[in-house]
Amino acid sequence: MKKRRVYLVPSLIAAGFMPSKSDAAPLVGPTKKNPATTLFERLQVKQVYTLAGHSSHSSHASHASHASHASASGGGYVLPRGDYNNSTTYTQPDPTPSYSPNPVPVIRSLPTTPNIPATTSTGSYPTQVAPQSSPANTAPMPLKTLPGNSDKFRRIVIQVQTALIAFGYFGGPVTGQVDTATRVGLNKMQDAYGLKVTGTITPQVLTAFGISTN
Amino acid sequence: MIDLRLKIDDVPIDHPSIVRLRTDVVESEHDAVLIDRDHESQTFDLAGYSLRVYCGPQTDLDGDVLLVVPGRNSAHRLVRAGSRHNTFLVTEQCDQLCVMCSQPPKKYHVDLFEQFTVAATLAPENARITISGGEPLLHKRRLYQFLVAAAKARPDISFHVLTNGQFFEPGDIAIIDEIGRDRVLWGIPLYAPHAELHDSIVAKRGAFETLSQNFVTLMRAGAAVELRTVVLQQNWDVLPRLADYTSTRLPFIDVWAIMQLENIGYGRMNWAHSFKDTSLDFGQLRSAINLAIGRGIQTLLYNFPLCTVPSQYRHLAPSTISDWKNKFLEECGECALRSTCGGFFEWYKADQGFGGLSRQ
Repeated sequence: MKKRRVYLVPSLIAAGFMPSKSDAAPLVGPTKKNPATTLFERLQVKQVYTLAGHSSHSSHASHASHASHASASGGGYVLPRGDYNNSTTYTQPDPTPSYSPNPVPVIRSLPTTPNIPATTSTGSYPTQVAPQSSPANTAPMPLKTLPGNSDKFRRIVIQVQTALIAFGYFGGPVTGQVDTATRVGLNKMQDAYGLKVTGTITPQVLTAFGISTN
Repeated sequence: MIDLRLKIDDVPIDHPSIVRLRTDVVESEHDAVLIDRDHESQTFDLAGYSLRVYCGPQTDLDGDVLLVVPGRNSAHRLVRAGSRHNTFLVTEQCDQLCVMCSQPPKKYHVDLFEQFTVAATLAPENARITISGGEPLLHKRRLYQFLVAAAKARPDISFHVLTNGQFFEPGDIAIIDEIGRDRVLWGIPLYAPHAELHDSIVAKRGAFETLSQNFVTLMRAGAAVELRTVVLQQNWDVLPRLADYTSTRLPFIDVWAIMQLENIGYGRMNWAHSFKDTSLDFGQLRSAINLAIGRGIQTLLYNFPLCTVPSQYRHLAPSTISDWKNKFLEECGECALRSTCGGFFEWYKADQGFGGLSRQ
């Protein structure tokens, strides 16, 4: 019986019958915000998210976020293995399944159907902002993702620029980058050879100069 | 079916690179602008090199982000600008072997997070990018680096990370904060309300216990969680108990997604003893939904063709099958629900599928 009384007051507070502490707290100036997020604050933030998510539920078309099992089929990205010094293997921790699926991979036929036109997007595309490295992550990601930064790419451009100089369509300098002068040279060369004039390095240009991409 | 790979002419590169295709304007050094098109291809100016992409004349590639791989004559369409279904498959390694896995694991991993980071920064405004695998959190440090970098570079985009939840640690809370709690929806599967069955379905001993612990971390982090349960013959009878478990133990989740099976990967292999025809028997599912909703858990049905769902529950079944892999059957014809129905997976086999389909 006595034990019950212990719970009586807190439950009244919970039910809102008694003033909570914050109501009685003396008014002080803006206190410094505690940097540690309380659980209460976390759940509050989440409410905003829930509502935002919920609003999208009204429109079924926008349910993409709940992409079904988002399997990237067509398989993974086909890459030559171990070429980039970042290939690792993972060994299964020997599961002892009472329900073991046959581990033989199922070969999926790759679709070869023609492309269905994607919906025209009227949205604008923000320019790329270089990803900043986070203070928590010491190693910033080096950007080796630009095709023009590829050594092979530059080598081909250098070969083309050299050939353009040799044949008198371009006055240099050899930069490894297709700049305006190089484009002008390519235009002249393509015109003179009766090729399609694009001002870019095309397979025909490479063939005409005998440059192999391999 | 929309092709996620496009045939291209060889590009002279020696590491995987990211290219965004544009029809008019160039805004980034990754942009390649359209210079020519014919009946079978479009050619883009890639830093002065002609990149020829084979596609139908009507295909709109403006804004699409491609992953171009050395020595390959096809490019991966990482981001389709006109689609809301963009998925980055960050690894094919996994520590579980789920009976319904649509993307069975492979041994090798190639780290493309650098490429994914750039691709994310080139996505259209307000894009939502799904991160899938394999198990993305097997490469947790890299994944977090990617999420932090992409989230900072692009405050408008958000992420949906599909993970088995086995690798969260209390120390991750700080990084989840840094990425932004409102930026990531964590899609985490739970198949049964007790260890024995869940562990057998995912083929990993201790998986249930680990997941239970990690849900505590996610709750403390205030993370947005989409709990995902695939309906199987194996867990059919425990669905109401799972609803009870979810509503009492995991009431902080944002949504409980009850999903139909996808006929691909292990799901196809195990179809006969896993697929539950909910068009003929909705019983346990009905009880589970009623219980969960009654207790305030937002509950939804993913990948259920509308005619397989009793009419009172259809509002819970949004069209969820990704645009590039859904289809409709001949019998769908002039069905009145077609505009709101997600249809079927491209690889759905009618003779093994639902017995109770009917035009509405």
